[in-house]
Amino acid sequence: MNRQNVDVAVIGSGPAGMAAAIRAKQSGAENVVVMERAEQMGGLLHQCVHNGFGLLYFNEDLTGPEYARRFMEKAMDVKVTPLLETMVTKISPEREITAISSKEGYITFTPKSIVLAMGCRERSRGALNIPGTRPAGILTAGTAQRFVNVEGFIPGKKIVILGSGDIGMIMARRLTLEGAEVVAVVEILPYIGGLIRNEVQCLHDFSIPLLLEHTITQIHGEKRIEAVNVARVDNNRDPIGGTERRIECDTLLLSVGLIPENELSSMAGVELDPITGGPIVGEMRQTNVPGIFAGGNVVHVHDLVDNVSWESELAGESAARFAMGAKWAEKGKIALKPGRNIRYIVPQTISGEREITLYLRVSDLEEGVRLKIGDIMSKALRVVKPSEMLKIELPMAQLRKLKQGATEIVVDCEKRGK
Amino acid sequence: MPEEKNITCIGCPMGCAVTLTIDDDRKVTSITGYKCKEGQKYALAEYKNPVRTLTATVLTQNSSQRLLAVRTTAPIPKTKLLPGIMALAEVRAKPPIKMGDVVISNLLDTGVDVVATSGLLF
Ligand code: SF4
Repeated sequence: MNRQNVDVAVIGSGPAGMAAAIRAKQSGAENVVVMERAEQMGGLLHQCVHNGFGLLYFNEDLTGPEYARRFMEKAMDVKVTPLLETMVTKISPEREITAISSKEGYITFTPKSIVLAMGCRERSRGALNIPGTRPAGILTAGTAQRFVNVEGFIPGKKIVILGSGDIGMIMARRLTLEGAEVVAVVEILPYIGGLIRNEVQCLHDFSIPLLLEHTITQIHGEKRIEAVNVARVDNNRDPIGGTERRIECDTLLLSVGLIPENELSSMAGVELDPITGGPIVGEMRQTNVPGIFAGGNVVHVHDLVDNVSWESELAGESAARFAMGAKWAEKGKIALKPGRNIRYIVPQTISGEREITLYLRVSDLEEGVRLKIGDIMSKALRVVKPSEMLKIELPMAQLRKLKQGATEIVVDCEKRGK
Repeated sequence: MPEEKNITCIGCPMGCAVTLTIDDDRKVTSITGYKCKEGQKYALAEYKNPVRTLTATVLTQNSSQRLLAVRTTAPIPKTKLLPGIMALAEVRAKPPIKMGDVVISNLLDTGVDVVATSGLLF
């Protein structure tokens, strides 16, 4: 393949990368490559053997591998070029990509545009600082998922899960079905970190104890983990003295959140948002570096793959148009500012000239609220939770209500009056 | 003695705790705790016939991969999940297998098949 002529290079071939590449091709980019370090496209979808994927995108209840397959086939249909077993090691602000390929060795080329689609990684124990020993048997929920669903062995027989993220709850069910005993899911907050359907179908269905407002205060065991101490926490999330008790286990899984994977983005000079951990993007999913776009979990951690695909299609379309000569301001004229009880909003800036979908998360759980997008739109919501991303369509009809020359829109989540 | 049954509605992030009261003839006499009609409908359906899709992996034989991912083509009664997984433990999948190929037909007389959700080329 002649790499002097690449229009769009997509970094990563998970749900985000595949969707971006397909859409780039469909939007007219001639030569679209997807760079993937594994042997096949699809990313982590292959190890997510559970269902619940595609309910919105395909209106069907698919498993991870099935969802991946649809996009893999489409990518082949539209003639996206996969560069497999190829690990990108560097991207320069001038868009020069350096990679190591198992077939070709060291390669470097400069595509007309790039889509960052590296996804996210799991927070590991180091980030949490639990006192105690450092025995074997402590791993992230995603690693356990790989062991159980791909490698074919279970990491232990008596399992405690710290954190109630979706992967943790899904692994609680999976391990139970495979014969392990999940003795507790420990969550520091007063509510779960994942989706309600996972609480019901993964925990309630198998009577797995969920300890809300609890945390792990100590890890025991020399070679292998033997037990953890669990304590109730107060409103400041500090352990309450005298509530500590010991729970025997041989494995501790961590399901304590995901972090966008942005080492390459930083090398390329892409500006990151300290809250999302991902690139600051405009409505076309353009970053501050001309010709570099981003979509999916690399921008902000989604809870549904369907939204990852949609967001990345936008990045793919923009990358194709950029490769064909279209230009945008790196930053939209109008900044979207998180107001009361709003943690973040993606995109961070908009032009006001194009209908958009806002993705946002709140900071705290609240019932009976009204979401106000400046003074151009408002929406009553029964409940908002940090773990459930909100998706708001902002049509042109509303955007036209913006004052001439407006430079920011504050988004507030207000308490509704009785 | 009327019996109470608690069901969490999964219709929206609210996750209402719905309570059903069931009399001696197993008839539902009251449903409370839901914040919208959706919850009433869900709780009743969930009480009468709770069903789930079973997803799992099965061991392979003569393959480069150790496992094959599988699912039921439709949801099966919740009570059949554990027996279902026991039935799957007996299976040894041999390549070639395509996504959608039947691994067990009519799982435990549910009328539902178990199919491969990925493939085994070799
Ligand atoms: S009853 Fe209505 S409000 Fe309550 S969880 Fe179900 S759908 Fe949501």
